[in-house]
Amino acid sequence: MTAKKATAPRFWIALAVPGMIWLLVLFIVPVYAVLAIAMGKLDQMLEAPVAVWSPLDWSSSNVIDVWRDIFGSASFAGPILARTIAYTAIAALVCLLIGYPCAYFVARFAGRRKGLFLVLLIAPFWISYMMRMLAWIDLLATGGYVNKALGWLGIGPVNWLGGHSVTVVFGLVYGYIPYLIMVLFAGLDRIDGSLLEAGRDLGLGRVRTFIHVTLPLSRQPILTGLLITVLPMLGDYYTNQMLSGAAHTSMIGNLIQGQLGTPGLEGQGAVLSLLLLLVLLIPMVYYVIATNREAASR
Amino acid sequence: MAHPREGWRGHGVPRVRSAEGSGALHASPPAGAGRRAFLTGSAALAAAGLLAGCASDIAGTGTLPLPRPRHPVTWPAFAGNAAIKPGRSPEQHATLQVYTWEAYINQDVVNAFAKKFKCKVQITTFNTMNEALSKLRSGLSYDVLVGATVDVLGQLIEGKLVQPLNHGYLPNIANAWPDFINPFYDQGWQYTVPYTIYTTGLTWRKDKVHENPSAMASPWAMPWQPKYRGRVAILDDYREGISLGLLKNGVHDLNTTDYRQIGAARKALEDLTGMVNLKISSTEYTQVPAGETWISTAWSGDMAAAASYMPKGVDVSVVGYWFPADGRGPVANDTNVILSSATSPVLAHEFLNFFLDLDNVLNNISWNGYMQPLTGVTPKVLIDQQILPPSLTSTVVTPAYFRRGVSELQLPVDADALWQQAWLVVSNGI
Repeated sequence: MTAKKATAPRFWIALAVPGMIWLLVLFIVPVYAVLAIAMGKLDQMLEAPVAVWSPLDWSSSNVIDVWRDIFGSASFAGPILARTIAYTAIAALVCLLIGYPCAYFVARFAGRRKGLFLVLLIAPFWISYMMRMLAWIDLLATGGYVNKALGWLGIGPVNWLGGHSVTVVFGLVYGYIPYLIMVLFAGLDRIDGSLLEAGRDLGLGRVRTFIHVTLPLSRQPILTGLLITVLPMLGDYYTNQMLSGAAHTSMIGNLIQGQLGTPGLEGQGAVLSLLLLLVLLIPMVYYVIATNREAASR
Repeated sequence: MAHPREGWRGHGVPRVRSAEGSGALHASPPAGAGRRAFLTGSAALAAAGLLAGCASDIAGTGTLPLPRPRHPVTWPAFAGNAAIKPGRSPEQHATLQVYTWEAYINQDVVNAFAKKFKCKVQITTFNTMNEALSKLRSGLSYDVLVGATVDVLGQLIEGKLVQPLNHGYLPNIANAWPDFINPFYDQGWQYTVPYTIYTTGLTWRKDKVHENPSAMASPWAMPWQPKYRGRVAILDDYREGISLGLLKNGVHDLNTTDYRQIGAARKALEDLTGMVNLKISSTEYTQVPAGETWISTAWSGDMAAAASYMPKGVDVSVVGYWFPADGRGPVANDTNVILSSATSPVLAHEFLNFFLDLDNVLNNISWNGYMQPLTGVTPKVLIDQQILPPSLTSTVVTPAYFRRGVSELQLPVDADALWQQAWLVVSNGI
């Protein structure tokens, strides 16, 4: 009996080993490699970064340079950070405004066609992100279908691809909204219908039932959905590159990509990548705290 | 005992400033306010990381020579990295590993090579020279590097990543322009044979833009026109970008190390960004034919292939390409080299030789648009064989361009840092 008790925890720990190996090989080691480049040196002759693996030999020059880039008197990355946060916040809000009613409809009113709607929501994932963005280039072109449709209303043509913030935000919304809808749907679908009925029985109208019952119960799915969409948006560079390409719409992902592709600046790019990772940890930590708090309150 | 500099006969300009200073370079602004003014300029420039790096943050020592037309370089031969012996037969049933830029070689020509030499050819591509160098340094093994740019030859040769050529296997070099049989960047063509040649000029849609750069007092200023807001682009490349600013300002030294000239070029580009909401992209060879972009800087080889990107019903004659008639514009060439990790070095030599044969070269140009410097490749031949539309004859590169033109060559490290930082500011819209 005692031996059986001792075996059980080992068995469950053993189940976690593949996941831990996965985490070690594909996350911990690569992040440490980036850290070794960020805190490393520069081969001046070859203009190539030299990874320094021992923390005892680390150099802080890349960190100091990036700090000055962001916060120094000659700050140049600060405006890009502000622009990235603004684009991401607007795109996330638009995603929520469009995604919530959509998820609500599928969860509450789709009935037997729920499966069909879910397939339609997942359908964009069957095509690669790059292909979808390339398709939008054709759709938004001066002679594209979007301008043709606007032409029927007597509007345009609009030069959508002329380097506009609105096009970048639109691209972000389009690219990431399915993630939000799926998470919201999963959360809304799990709301116990009897709670809504109880609200109605107690005299609440449709709107007040939604405000006082459905909305509070969907707070956690909203938080999860926003987290899942905001994190990749913050590091996105491809949407901007494809739909704008203008310097005035550059985001932090573009800056990192530019630095990693420039001989001699890879170290600073590595520092910026790690800083972005640290910033992304903040909403992750908040999410974990909020989830635990909610679980404790039940 | 062998020494890394054994057999060194090179001269040229040193790439890294010595402690005493070379005297020839003036990349770093004078101490004090001058340098600060550059860094904090109108739009606030980042503290130049490379410039700021202190000695303890620098790994490796030594210098690379900077090839210049007036300072040609003869690269050293290194012990243990000799050319292959003469008289060997091509490796049988081998797979030749070719490393090249994306979409830079005609598969039909590659297939013809494979058929002739009864071998397989595996092509692997890279997107930037920096990426290629990183992967080669990490130990990835290939036989041939197609399209090595002149500015990284020092790193390839001094890093012992490429092997010297045995000229006996390359008789087709006789087909090349005389300029490339003894180029300034590789005297005696010890390591390289020429591949593509190209100019950087202006492309525009003639049906949307009614100015013709040939008739303008300052053609390089053509993009600086607010009426074309949202329709102007420049190449996404720090050397090409800053060079446009320099040329617009009347500076033809595209390897300048003068921080004032680089700062002024940056300012001109910042003005352009605000004036036309500048797009920074390297796909304008499709966007100009499509009519989305109306004015852009472009490489001649891309624009020579413009007919492939025209929308249905639009004739290629609406696309224009301008390069200074006197040849005083950016001109460049890429090279082909054999890597020291080659497992089929004889086949690799045959491959280089194959791409110096006129018929194969014309076939290759017909696919990728980029000319190769063979005496048989003339505008007449290109037009007669319908490789080039007559309206884009201006994309043709002539030998005279390499004598009068200006090339973007490898810079000293500190000047390179100034160029890169200026470009980071421009390309991120600060």
